[in-house]
Amino acid sequence: MRSAVNQTLKRKFAQTFDLPSAILLDQATIHLMGDAEAKVVNHKGLVQYTNTCIKARSAQGLIEISGADLEIVSFSSSEIKISGMIRQVMLK
Amino acid sequence: MTSLFLWWQGYVTVRLRGPGLEHLLNKMTDLGIALTNVERLTGDVVIAKLMVRDFRRLRPLVRGSQISVTILDKHGAPFFLRKFKLRGFLVLGCLLSLLFVMYLSNFIWFIEVSGTYTLSNEAVKEAIEDLQLRAGIVRSALQPRTIEVELLKRFPDLAWVQVSIKGVKVEIILTEREGIELEQAGPGHVYAAMDGVITELLVLKGTPQVRDGSTVRKGELLISGQYYDQRGIQQFGAAQGVVKARVWYEGVGEAALARWEPRKTGRSHRQYLISIGPLRIPLGRSYPEGTHLRDSKEWSLSLGRALVPIHWSKVDYHEVEYIKVEVPRETAERNAYELAWESLQSQGVQAGQILEERTTVDFIPDADGIRVMVQVEVLEEIGQFMAY
Repeated sequence: MRSAVNQTLKRKFAQTFDLPSAILLDQATIHLMGDAEAKVVNHKGLVQYTNTCIKARSAQGLIEISGADLEIVSFSSSEIKISGMIRQVMLK
Repeated sequence: MTSLFLWWQGYVTVRLRGPGLEHLLNKMTDLGIALTNVERLTGDVVIAKLMVRDFRRLRPLVRGSQISVTILDKHGAPFFLRKFKLRGFLVLGCLLSLLFVMYLSNFIWFIEVSGTYTLSNEAVKEAIEDLQLRAGIVRSALQPRTIEVELLKRFPDLAWVQVSIKGVKVEIILTEREGIELEQAGPGHVYAAMDGVITELLVLKGTPQVRDGSTVRKGELLISGQYYDQRGIQQFGAAQGVVKARVWYEGVGEAALARWEPRKTGRSHRQYLISIGPLRIPLGRSYPEGTHLRDSKEWSLSLGRALVPIHWSKVDYHEVEYIKVEVPRETAERNAYELAWESLQSQGVQAGQILEERTTVDFIPDADGIRVMVQVEVLEEIGQFMAY
């Protein structure tokens, strides 16, 4: 309850002062380059990694990227770069 | 992380095997270990690349867990340099070869001459050697301008010479003077170089002796070098002009109406041959080529990529008898026609310049063959200047 209030306040603050909400709200950002490359920035950890599905935690929930021949090109505490045939990106 | 940076720092390819690999990957990134090319092979195997200094921090993470870590490959400058550290003589050898190559590059090793048409390459090369330009001389001792001037002096037919040094090669580019021989020639007439019927006569200098439509024989005078100038005074000069005529060429080709073809009798013999360098050791007898067809297979001994001069051959000799095969008249005629054309082409006739073509076919008496005579008419310049 408290964190929901915090989030709402932060969102209002970001909107009022025209600040980037992704930073203030600790949101994950997903970049898609066509259907061959994806980048998840500000993730909170890898949950599942197979050739067809990669799941990562984020402040907003579980990010699920599914497709074929998926491979993690680079993996660091802040960013996951994925290559392969991307079919679906979901936030659960 | 660029790949060059990775290579410079040194990186390892590791195989992580065990349950809960995602958890381990998260723990690694929490410690600041960056991974690249993380590849999932099976449900419990992941292959990834990480920097050498990060690998040392990975050990405590897997200690006590069921996950095993194996280094599959090592890459990068630290490993590369370590190899050299252990091989002092290899480094020394590399350095010495580098120095040797640098030393050798101070000399001229190749000399290339281009642009000679009437001048012989040998004559130019001899002159170049006279000027102390030969393979093996020190590059700094070479004076291209001096050689250029000297070559121009020695060969008056040269209009331009360029000597340039390109690494260990000297390039000599020559351009010959294009002289107009006719202008420099003394007085003379233009004669017919071959028989023909004149179709075009253009006199530039001199007096015409024939006219369009005249039939001329080889050696006949076409344009005389004697003419009268504007003041009516007789002059003797070099006749000049264009004389085109219809000329004939003849080519003859013969072809047989039967040929002898070898047919295998069914009897065959095998021979083996061992070749060691130039030495050939036959195992079994050889048969003459007139009565036997030869079919051979060869194997060479090789050690990896290096070829050893030892060969092993299997030769099959098939006995043959010759039978007479009739050649269809059309085929023989075509073969003879092609031969006749080859003869025409050897006389300088080209298929594109033919005005008229006539073909005569004859049987060769008692020789079981056919003879084709091809006569062609072409338009050619027949004027040939000859001095008095």
